[in-house]
Amino acid sequence: MNEISVVGQVVGGSFGDIVIRQKAGTDLEIGDLMVSEENGSFLILQVFSLEFGSQIQDKMQQMMSGVNLEQGVVDAHFYEPDFVNYVLARIKPLARVYKENNEVKIPKSMPSFFNKLRLITKDDLEFLQKEKDSVFVGYIRSGSKVIKEAEVWLPAEDVFSHHMLIPATTGRGKSNLVKTILWSVLDTNKVGALVLDAHDEYFGRVGIGLKLHPRAKDNLMYYTPSSPPVGANRLTINLQSIRPEHFEGIVDFSDPQFQAIRMAYRQSRKNWIRDLMLTDAVDAGMESSTQARGEFAAATMMVVQRKLRLLLSLEKDEEGVVFSRHEVFDSTTKGLTTVDDIVKDIEAGKVVVLDTSRLGDEAELLVGNIIAAKLLQKYKDAKASGELQRKPVATIVIEEAPRVIGVDVLTSRNDNIYSTIAKEGRKFKVGLTAITQLSSVIPKTILANMNTKIILGNEMKQEREAIIASASQDLSEDDKNIASLDKGEAIVTSIFVPFAMPIKIPLFEDIVKEKGVTPDNSKTKVF
Amino acid sequence: MKFAHLSDVHLGFQKHESLQKIERQVFEKILDECISRKVDFVLIPGDLFHVNIPEMRVQKFAFAKFRAVHDAGIPIYVVYGSHDFSPVSNSVIDLLSEVGYITKVTIPTSHEDGQISLKCLIDPKTGVKITGLSGLKVGKDREWYEKLDRDSLEAEQGLKIFLFHGGISDMKTDSGMDGDQMPLSLLPQGFSYYAGGHMHKFNHQSFDGYSNVVYPGTPFAGYHADLEDNANGQKRGFVLVEFEDIIKSVDFVEIENTEYEVIEVDANNRKAESVNQELLDKTRDIDPTDKVIIVKIAGELTTGKTADVDVSAIRDKLNDAGSLVVNISKNQLRSKEYSITEAKGDNKDEIETNVFAENIGQLRFEQQELLGEQGVKLAKKLLQELGQGQLVNEKKNEYIPRVRDSVLAILGVNKDDSQ
Repeated sequence: MNEISVVGQVVGGSFGDIVIRQKAGTDLEIGDLMVSEENGSFLILQVFSLEFGSQIQDKMQQMMSGVNLEQGVVDAHFYEPDFVNYVLARIKPLARVYKENNEVKIPKSMPSFFNKLRLITKDDLEFLQKEKDSVFVGYIRSGSKVIKEAEVWLPAEDVFSHHMLIPATTGRGKSNLVKTILWSVLDTNKVGALVLDAHDEYFGRVGIGLKLHPRAKDNLMYYTPSSPPVGANRLTINLQSIRPEHFEGIVDFSDPQFQAIRMAYRQSRKNWIRDLMLTDAVDAGMESSTQARGEFAAATMMVVQRKLRLLLSLEKDEEGVVFSRHEVFDSTTKGLTTVDDIVKDIEAGKVVVLDTSRLGDEAELLVGNIIAAKLLQKYKDAKASGELQRKPVATIVIEEAPRVIGVDVLTSRNDNIYSTIAKEGRKFKVGLTAITQLSSVIPKTILANMNTKIILGNEMKQEREAIIASASQDLSEDDKNIASLDKGEAIVTSIFVPFAMPIKIPLFEDIVKEKGVTPDNSKTKVF
Repeated sequence: MKFAHLSDVHLGFQKHESLQKIERQVFEKILDECISRKVDFVLIPGDLFHVNIPEMRVQKFAFAKFRAVHDAGIPIYVVYGSHDFSPVSNSVIDLLSEVGYITKVTIPTSHEDGQISLKCLIDPKTGVKITGLSGLKVGKDREWYEKLDRDSLEAEQGLKIFLFHGGISDMKTDSGMDGDQMPLSLLPQGFSYYAGGHMHKFNHQSFDGYSNVVYPGTPFAGYHADLEDNANGQKRGFVLVEFEDIIKSVDFVEIENTEYEVIEVDANNRKAESVNQELLDKTRDIDPTDKVIIVKIAGELTTGKTADVDVSAIRDKLNDAGSLVVNISKNQLRSKEYSITEAKGDNKDEIETNVFAENIGQLRFEQQELLGEQGVKLAKKLLQELGQGQLVNEKKNEYIPRVRDSVLAILGVNKDDSQ
């Protein structure tokens, strides 16, 4: 090892908490990655705590400070200060890399005592090879230093089918990360994604977005309810696509209300919502408060109508045609195939972005529910017929995930499709990419099933604890590390990476600048 | 004032003489209707002909009828469809345009910055502004729409019509309608009427920014499936639009073509013999005289080959009884015993080899060269040869014997061996 590159030396500690003395003139940071060369292998270690060390007793130091401060002695200094005072760093081993075959293993031993350590370089990270069909999430980060040559790619099929969690508070770069991930998903047709975009921020309706990906024309589908930009699709879902079970776990209907809904479906089938909305409960002879002959009290019917009207923003015109104010739901002939089309696109490995910004919370989840239910069913059928292997893995990107997989939702209502996918989707190559500020309200069983977590900065201790407790690697010493993550900095913990990787997510704008399409200004012949 | 809108006539598609006759009759009847109803102009957004240069028989009757419409002082405005399109103006559409019977409405300018602008043509009698874009195969026309100078078109005042040829995904009513669909948002907004072609069923819808997007559908049949739809009650015809300074009404005018009978047999979990029996029974129940008969057999047989379902006897019987034509669809018929097992591979070649190897064991032939490894090789060679497309400028009557001779050579048999 080049003496100049040495940053510290092992001086003590125990496994998982090794103490090194920092070499004078170097400036170690929390999260710095360093390397301890061993025989035939090297250890990658990470700084998780920094403190001062000194050969002079504390009281003596305090007295010297008093002389310095109170008596105005300006030229007082330590004799050979670099030897006497220093920084001690506490580090933990992350991985052992065998030089012969670049094999990475979880370390089970300590670095040699008194071994000199250096900071990690790109050459040490050659094992981070991009494999076929993987997803780029960022560059390895050592403290705040970014090693741009060390790109972190995650195996797409594995990480998406085993669910991904992106926990972070506002302003830490969630949407930048999601866009970065989707950008590389767009490179191939190996992953199909349904993105419920509650803020209409991914496609780039105005400004930079996924639409600038070179393969966007083939692989990106954008559905929006209002004046779609050129080439985009109108998000219209026919009311015929909605079945009573789609409301389960999404909307708070009482048992009698659900019964009324199911009865309406049995009676009218396809046009049940339209017919139900057009039914005059009193005229239909439902005044009685009893439920004779399978009929429901007028009050129940009216509550159901009101809830549906609010949920789906339904109104009826003078000709009795039911329509939705935000134009997403239609009772006539529009949007009859939207759900099927979207599912087909996902099955073809495309990214489908739904602009749900005009929908209320429940309506957004309902739209996702209808599509996700059909998608899961198709993948289940594919498994039954032995065709699942050929299908791309599918993921459903959902923001504020506790709305559907939060403890209170799952205990107070029936399971919804999202929780079903979280629990059993893996078997059918369908996964969730859940984004949340509140990991602590997601049940542990579901959190544990989310086998890849890309942890962005989070100042809430309770949330950090929930994430740390369910991480795929031991992050028990990383509480401060997570708290101090700056915008765009993250830690990837996953059963598909050899150790919890500190990363820096590039700015999406920079990716687009480097790899995005330029407008085609070539002359075109028109016949 | 009024105009007529028809599309996807696919003249020259029908191969059977009796269907050719209906194809012609329907076409002539529609244009006669246009004359007798004194329409101000006619719109045909593509696929008027099934190919760019149809046989002389078709050209003759088409020219005659177009001349009649022309003589009646009714202009016909068209764009190419994906079938009658020619990039080098080598289509009978161009010939008709050259003699002045029809007018191509696409007047484009390609600018240096890549943008395409379209000039509106103005119908001299009504002052209606008309423009449009042709349809190309596999959605290659999408680029035109993406580069279209929409602002200038949207700024045009007055009643304006846009002709286009292509499926609009927003208007799909059936998820089985796959293929090249484009979103409505690709079309410029603000036209009074969007005259569509390509979709073979009548469809009229309006959307925010797009009023009256209309497909009249094919007036008879341009795909084989159209006949089946006709037999199942699909109405065929054209669209008649009344207008002043706005569109006042859009009406579908039905033109009857012929009578149909459908024989459907569900072969699921049955033996070929029982399917054959049901086919015979159902044939007995109908009067096929002067009708198009659609026979549809679908499902999975428990035993036997799909070839054991004897359709030739049915066909003969129906033909003898005076049917116009018998269309038999067996492509959804499967057999459990002879089902194709799928196989994996890293590339196309490997997948083909593995699929053949996986399935060849089911075959029972005396000729050993058709079985085992040798059989797989032979099957692959045949597949490759049969997958050869028609060469540029190669005529069908050159293409068929070329492929046939190559296939016979691969099989090592002479053309005369079967006789």
